Amino acid sequence: MIDQASDFLQQDFLKQYQGLAQQAWESWARQLQQPGTSANPFAGFNSANAGAAPSDDLLARSLSGMKNYFDWMQSAAAGTFGSPNPSQAFDWRQQLQQLFGGASQPFGQAFAGIDSTAAQGFGQQWQAWLQAAQQGGFGDLRGLQPMAPFGLSREQQLQQQALMAAVLEYLETSRRYQALLQQANAQAAERLQDKLAQRAEPGRQVESLKALYDLWVDSAEESYAEIALSAEFREVYGAMVNAQMRVRELQQQQTEQYCRELGIPTRSEVASLGQRLQEIRRELRVRPNAEADEHERKIAALHAELVALKKQMQTPAALSKTAVKKAIKTTPVKATAKPGKAAVKSASSRPASRKTASKAPARSIARKRK
Amino acid sequence: MYTPLRIDPSKALAEISTFQRKLAAGMVNLRGFGEPEYANTPRELVYQEDKLKVWHFKGNGKPSSKVPLLIVYALVNTVWMTDLQADRSLVRNLLDQGEDVYLIDWGYPDGADRWLTLDDYINGYLDRCVDAVRKRHELDAINLLGICQGGAFSLCYTAIHPDKVKNLITMVTPVDYHTPDNMLSHWVQNLDVDLFVNTLGNIPAALMNYVYLTLKPVRLNQQKYVGLVDILDDPNELANFLRMERWIFDSPDQAGEAFRQFIKDFYQGNKLVKGTLEIGGQPVDLGMITQPVLNIFAELDHLVPPDASRALGKHVGTTDYTQLAFKGGHIGIYVSGRAREVPPTIHQWLAQRSR
Repeated sequence: MIDQASDFLQQDFLKQYQGLAQQAWESWARQLQQPGTSANPFAGFNSANAGAAPSDDLLARSLSGMKNYFDWMQSAAAGTFGSPNPSQAFDWRQQLQQLFGGASQPFGQAFAGIDSTAAQGFGQQWQAWLQAAQQGGFGDLRGLQPMAPFGLSREQQLQQQALMAAVLEYLETSRRYQALLQQANAQAAERLQDKLAQRAEPGRQVESLKALYDLWVDSAEESYAEIALSAEFREVYGAMVNAQMRVRELQQQQTEQYCRELGIPTRSEVASLGQRLQEIRRELRVRPNAEADEHERKIAALHAELVALKKQMQTPAALSKTAVKKAIKTTPVKATAKPGKAAVKSASSRPASRKTASKAPARSIARKRK
Repeated sequence: MYTPLRIDPSKALAEISTFQRKLAAGMVNLRGFGEPEYANTPRELVYQEDKLKVWHFKGNGKPSSKVPLLIVYALVNTVWMTDLQADRSLVRNLLDQGEDVYLIDWGYPDGADRWLTLDDYINGYLDRCVDAVRKRHELDAINLLGICQGGAFSLCYTAIHPDKVKNLITMVTPVDYHTPDNMLSHWVQNLDVDLFVNTLGNIPAALMNYVYLTLKPVRLNQQKYVGLVDILDDPNELANFLRMERWIFDSPDQAGEAFRQFIKDFYQGNKLVKGTLEIGGQPVDLGMITQPVLNIFAELDHLVPPDASRALGKHVGTTDYTQLAFKGGHIGIYVSGRAREVPPTIHQWLAQRSR
């Protein structure tokens, strides 16, 4: 099992990754080589088109918003308005259903697509691992209880099982997330119907596909916002992201284990060094400041002593040793906050600043709270 | 009884045809369209540390303002929203008003910045930037303009270092993170932030952008690009659109530790308004902010709901608190037609407090 997983790491995973990178590059190259115009502006970006860019092509993704709209307009014209007798009176609710309902309607993709768009990077990774596991003899993951691990590879088996459990957890939370998005989509259609019902009188009717589309977008966003702010969405969203991170964390652990075996530095090691370095940088920043403050305190004390001594010399009989000590004690220690010095004393002077502020009189503020 | 749908089939076909034609022609315009430049108001580098830079902007004349204004932008997205489009640049308009403008450019964190904390950013970087500007002008205190997350940083900074801030301006700044309409906050409440940061390290900019897009998925993923078709034949409009796309998607990763703290303490814990926030072991009490405060927020902000910003008035200690509600969104406050209203308001407010 370990060997198979290892084989996957070295062969399949790399192949898939390289393949993906190659596809993206080739599709870009094709786009760059294409002439500028076409009867169908998306002809070059349609994965169903032979020799065209794959669906995960970067440019195609950028253009998918326009493409979905374009496809929808075409199907609306061909289906709804292209009926044998277009002038015949029809039920507008049924028409709406034709425009926005059904499995092929493009707008559902606007919702369903957001997860897949973002999952680039995350999704590709766990899918590759999932495939590897299935190829490595895990079979149908959903129905199987994990095998009790034993033997030399016990720890690795445990890691694999944890990863598979995490992947399944992610799939489940992702399914719940998608269900909520679909719910938002369905509610958007209902909301659109309500909005249209209020526009039945002449002068308020929807007279263009674009106007209908804009009204649908309003409906979709309102429905989505309502669901996205629900307690259920919050719970599902958190669970999905946490599951996604758990998958990634376990992937990293396994990858790092292989790296260690091959003597390759791992990210954890680099991060650990980075953490130590940052701590040292912080200490170095504070240390000179602390030393500078100590020096300032000493200088201030010496200065106070000097002042006292000068006074003593001026009226030697009037000043006793006690008076000198008192003078030293009561002389302010705080250094003048010259901006030029602030850069080196800022960190250590924070508590003093705060104390000063709390006692400081209110600045010359205009008392006009609105 | 009328039908609400009165779409003439022939007009619908014409609509499709027009869309197709515009798009096909527009694709030609898109091809070879260079990277649109930002406003690039003349500036000089006055302080640098790690990846951070402090820029001093140069206006046409000498600034009339005696106290410089340091802009503290958010860590998410680049600081160039403040100087995006020449005719609507916040920086340029502030200069025209007579302000002496500085800007902190946080740069693009990488793995070496993974362990930067909020203490490093606020009591470290920001404090040293403030000191650098104070030193240049030989002043004890300067004016701060904090934007979005940078506004939250400015509030923390002012509460901890009140003697270094003369006047504080916050723009589209979240203060109360638990208002019911805050979608971002809602989504992260059940997030295991430790697992998230431990796994990802720095938070990729692409992931952040994706989350922002999903706040309004259809409008931002589809409708916006459908609208693009109408401006493909207008080079100026197209350049504005592409410039905005550049700003939106050319964004920095987030330093892992700072992100962890920000989500935990601000978004999940709402500690800024609860008064329990600590940065680098020092308490952050908004009540300690006695400087004049101008709080500007956007009424249609989907990232920082207006109520999240309005809350500042209830918690800040100053008796000189002014609030400005801008009729627009989180981005519109910088680039919309109304955006020109903001710099004069800021300048006037500052001028009244510099007499």
